[in-house]
Amino acid sequence: MTLKRLVSDYGMVLVLLGLCALFSMLTLKVQSPTSEAALSALAGQIEHAFGKSDTILIVGATNKESAPFAEKLGLTLEASGFAETRVIVGTPREARLALDAVRAEGGGVAAIVAGGDVGQWGVFDGIPEQYPEFKDCRILIPESRIWPDFLKRSNLLAIVDRIVVIAVIAIGMTMVILTGGIDLSVGSLLALSAVIGAMVMKHLGGAEAPGWAVAVGFLAGISSCGLIGALGGWLVTRFKVPPFITTLGVMMMARGLAFLLTGGFSIYQVPRALPWLGQGRTASVPNTVILLILLYSVAHVFMAHTRLGRHIYAVGGNEEAARLSGVRIGFVIVFVYAVSALAAGLGGCIQASQINTGTPNMGTMYELYVIAAVVVGGTSLSGGSGRILGTLIGAFIISVIQNGMNLLGLESYTQQVVLGAVILCAVLLDKARFGGLTKRLKGSLE
Amino acid sequence: MNKRAVVARATLAVAAMAILASCGPAPQQTDPQTPTAGRGKIGVTCMDLTNPFFKLIGNVMEQKAAEYGFEVVVLSGEMDPAKQNSQLADFAAQGYDAIFLNPVDSKSAGEGVKKAAEAGIPVFTYDVQVTDDEAKGLIVSHIGSDNYQGGRLAGESMMKITGNKGRIAIIGYPEVTSCIYRVQGFKDHLKENNSPIEIVAELSGRGNRNDAYAVATDILQAHPDIVAIFAINDPSGLGAHAAIVKAGKAEQIAIIAFDASPAGKQAVFEKKLFDSPQQFPREMAEGTVDAFIKYRNGEDVPESIFIPCAHYYYEDSVKDESRVAEQW
Repeated sequence: MTLKRLVSDYGMVLVLLGLCALFSMLTLKVQSPTSEAALSALAGQIEHAFGKSDTILIVGATNKESAPFAEKLGLTLEASGFAETRVIVGTPREARLALDAVRAEGGGVAAIVAGGDVGQWGVFDGIPEQYPEFKDCRILIPESRIWPDFLKRSNLLAIVDRIVVIAVIAIGMTMVILTGGIDLSVGSLLALSAVIGAMVMKHLGGAEAPGWAVAVGFLAGISSCGLIGALGGWLVTRFKVPPFITTLGVMMMARGLAFLLTGGFSIYQVPRALPWLGQGRTASVPNTVILLILLYSVAHVFMAHTRLGRHIYAVGGNEEAARLSGVRIGFVIVFVYAVSALAAGLGGCIQASQINTGTPNMGTMYELYVIAAVVVGGTSLSGGSGRILGTLIGAFIISVIQNGMNLLGLESYTQQVVLGAVILCAVLLDKARFGGLTKRLKGSLE
Repeated sequence: MNKRAVVARATLAVAAMAILASCGPAPQQTDPQTPTAGRGKIGVTCMDLTNPFFKLIGNVMEQKAAEYGFEVVVLSGEMDPAKQNSQLADFAAQGYDAIFLNPVDSKSAGEGVKKAAEAGIPVFTYDVQVTDDEAKGLIVSHIGSDNYQGGRLAGESMMKITGNKGRIAIIGYPEVTSCIYRVQGFKDHLKENNSPIEIVAELSGRGNRNDAYAVATDILQAHPDIVAIFAINDPSGLGAHAAIVKAGKAEQIAIIAFDASPAGKQAVFEKKLFDSPQQFPREMAEGTVDAFIKYRNGEDVPESIFIPCAHYYYEDSVKDESRVAEQW
């Protein structure tokens, strides 16, 4: 029973894990060698096959794993008495210059060690024609290991970086959708917040401005968004304007305002401290990861264990019943739209920090991605049912799919089709949870 | 939650994954017969793949790179700088051999470029340059059209067709840098020649036919006496043309567009447009691949190449085979 409950509550976790496994399998690739074993094996092979006075070029590509490998191998060979090893770390240009240098000295090359993708460089293919005197040289490629690109540390961090903005905004959106509403303005508010923030920072001194200018800018951006959101919520509850229309209006006005304020240009005169939030690290953990954990913990506790949090569920479940039992509906509605806008504002700050600029065309279509994340995470669009942590899983599912499709090299057009299909499947899953998908399928057949 | 629903959920989840799995390409499906095949992968990300200009560039890059045995993956930044930066991060994570970048935003693309450089991946830009001070130095090479010079050509044509007098309108697209340069070049040319031409309206047609049609209609309401319109690309120019035809002013108002796209060339031939300063996307795409191959071979790579734009008048269109073949 508990297992079934777990599957039904967090079935999306299984989907996420399944996706991770799938993409790991599909992105298996031969990676550059880094292990000590590969290094000593190759060193042994060289000692066996070549004389101590032979010229051996060891080539590594700048900033790739082949670079430290080349350096270490160079030291190992030198220690065992090879006098003519040359370590070259750089681009193909440096490799060619090295070949030219050896030729100018009138020497020969016995072997070239090319780790990782260095072996594929065009400069070495051209050796038989362009360097006929080196045509006997051997190209040695170290033994490599197989590991999925998907599971590389850098890639996993890229997934978090990609989703942090949408995940943050989705917290507010989950609350809005739980009350049975919708907020279409978040993408535009994101841009507005980023633009306002960047403009404040520009006025406080631009690139030379101190760190606190960033905080002031962020505060200005987030609070203006919060104000706009509260105003929208007030319209929804006071005049019964449907949330779809209210937030549609706000969406257009906020986007237009962002373009008006900037004249269509991006604002890049920002302090050097700006990238800290979106790109920096604290104790070697990326700040974005810390922020996500922090915000979701707070939101989870708030929704599950506070009176206001429960009231949000109550309003979405049955507004009339909630009103009769003393829930201040108006306040709850204004509150959720304000939170949604504040979250969008914070999202704008994070994104501005990630791309080190404030641009008015940021966040286009984000409202739809955010809604998708919430729905994929199991929150019902009719309100009253859903979980904040489910939303986090939903956001990760979308991010993993996007990242995986990029890794697989799927064309942009195909990506849209797949993402749309996955969102549809998720909604079908949502229906299944309320019983009887199979029944419905049968019903349509009969 | 009944048992059947659990089964249904599981079935759907599997189905979703099956869809994804079937969409995944077989990565090593390069032709084993050609000796150069399967040499590596190049990631391309451009502003917007729904624009035929960028689609063509992507296609030409694919063909040209395939000749050297490289596979090209073309993604669309969809006019979203953050999205493009995460695409750059994905290319970097996969360790592609190179990235060809057409930045959505000249400044913010710098962050993605820095990440690619940290992963040791060379970045080549085309069409639009990266202007972030730090990232600029990390770009191996840039190739693009000279939009400002193209704008000046449009200004020259404007003075010619109007007899250097009268009131005109501009249909721009101030959200896009290259279009801003075109308008700037256009205005500067008029100014430097002390032209008495008066610009009475400058509105955004968002680079597409529908919006340009609407904007041009409004301009004609407010300024029925204009003698010419400069539109920053062919779709805007053709939208404006539709508006003046509807208003019965096709004889009175001349239109100068930009790009000499297939539709633009045909429109010049049909005398709907007076001039459409030509860009050369094919050269841009091939030049980028050439620069990359030179880089791989360790040869000298030029830091930047600007392909000048050229006038495209009726006389050019008459014998132009690319117009007949509907090519750029």
